[in-house]
Amino acid sequence: MLLAVASLQGRIDASTRALASAEEHLLLRSGRTAQKLSLGYDSLLADVYWTRAVQYYGSRVGVPGAKFDLLWPLLDVATTLDPRLVVAYRFGAIFLSEPYAGADRPDLAIELVKRGIPANPKEWRLGTDLGLLYYLRMRDYPKAAEAYLEASKNPAAPVWVKLMAARIAQKGGSFETSRMIWGQLYESTKDPKIRENALRQIQSLKAQEDELHLDELVDEYTKGFGRAPEKMQDLVAAGLLSGLPVDPSGLPYVIGSNRKSELNPASRVVIVPPPKLPGSGK
Amino acid sequence: MSSVPGVVAINTFREAVRDRVLYNLVFFALLMIGASILVGEVSIGIDRIVIINLGLSAISVIGLVMAVFIGVGLVHKEMEKRTLYSVLAKPVRRWEFLTGKYAGLLVTLAVNTAFMTVGLAAALFYVGRPLVKADTSILVAVYFILLELALVTAITLFFSCFTTPMLSTLYTLGIYITGVFAADIRDFADFTKSQSLKGIARTVYYLVPNFHNFNVIDLASHGNSIPLKLIGENTLYAACYVSLVILAASAVFSRRNLK
Repeated sequence: MLLAVASLQGRIDASTRALASAEEHLLLRSGRTAQKLSLGYDSLLADVYWTRAVQYYGSRVGVPGAKFDLLWPLLDVATTLDPRLVVAYRFGAIFLSEPYAGADRPDLAIELVKRGIPANPKEWRLGTDLGLLYYLRMRDYPKAAEAYLEASKNPAAPVWVKLMAARIAQKGGSFETSRMIWGQLYESTKDPKIRENALRQIQSLKAQEDELHLDELVDEYTKGFGRAPEKMQDLVAAGLLSGLPVDPSGLPYVIGSNRKSELNPASRVVIVPPPKLPGSGK
Repeated sequence: MSSVPGVVAINTFREAVRDRVLYNLVFFALLMIGASILVGEVSIGIDRIVIINLGLSAISVIGLVMAVFIGVGLVHKEMEKRTLYSVLAKPVRRWEFLTGKYAGLLVTLAVNTAFMTVGLAAALFYVGRPLVKADTSILVAVYFILLELALVTAITLFFSCFTTPMLSTLYTLGIYITGVFAADIRDFADFTKSQSLKGIARTVYYLVPNFHNFNVIDLASHGNSIPLKLIGENTLYAACYVSLVILAASAVFSRRNLK
């Protein structure tokens, strides 16, 4: 009998799978309503919503063409139910803002983190997260510097937060500053996916910076010899380089067909293009 | 506990143990073990928060279910089995019987809650988190749940003195839900422009037991401290309300025609 029940359940699953729509639905999108219905167990319900947000994100990340439409409502409800759920603001902002591995909605990520800051006045990290979003995703350096400065006023914030504010205000958009920010993110989390992404970004920035310097040397060579170098060894032979320069993965850079420096085709480093700005159409 | 209420209380506790009421602890233990193992797999960064939220919520819900479903039968069962008549034939006053029954159920709930708290601590230890000073707020949350259960038990007992178990359950749950929404009733009183509605809402707000007061689960799960002042105020509030309800229950039960 039990076997028959199990077998029938398998058939019912198959039938209902065919009937189910491809899109997931979220019946309760209002945090306030969810709060009322939770009968006082709102913090437990917030954990359920946050877990659902993580699973929703996890099931879509890396899937070509995947949409993240329910991510914001799930995070909205989770943080309304438990405004002290710091992890939902911090990771939720990453899920929302990531252009390639997320919803690519830095505006919503900023809104989420901005809501978390007054609800968690002791959490200076939310302030630096806001600065990070302005810096990396919006390229709004004055606002990024302001966010870091505001976070540095928290007595628990380490000294580097104030230094970062000063640095962004002075040299916003420089490779070095960007590398410092990604480095801080890499150090501040144990999540392997976020660390991997931060490392990829650091390597990409290093490669972009190297390529800029190498292109300057290529120009210098072209001016001196009246022709562009054909390979990187030409720059070494001309004394412009002491040896073959290598990218963060250890492979030498090459001169491309456009006579500009490039990553070795076998390189594992990926140049990450700057993020699209909302409304810029770029 | 050699007084009459004490003897009744001990017997009520023994009866609950005999009725295998504490078997719910097995369910709680399984829930905690399951949550401890699964939470790290399905979520990010909330292992500790989930264990505390789930543990405290389960302690509260299980306690509430026990308080209501055992509470409604406390008097009714004695009447149905006709044991009440033999007890009252002895030099036992009705209020003593009632107070003893109340205390017995409260002891049962306290023992049950204590075991569940140990289970919660074990689950926290399992997820690799040593107990720290901030965890005193978990103990305060458990204490507040006990105060809440004391209040629910008193209300259940009050209704069971004059109506059927089914109606007692409904009335108690109705009052409990109203009490959970007490803050909304106050907000309604603040927002409404009608003076009469404002008056009614304010009266209801101060009359219904405010169960919202006892909910500090979110504070405990984030390791926030709970002010001593609040602990004192909630203790006094529960003590006053319980005394009032037990007095009312005793008055009703004393006047009830048991024939």
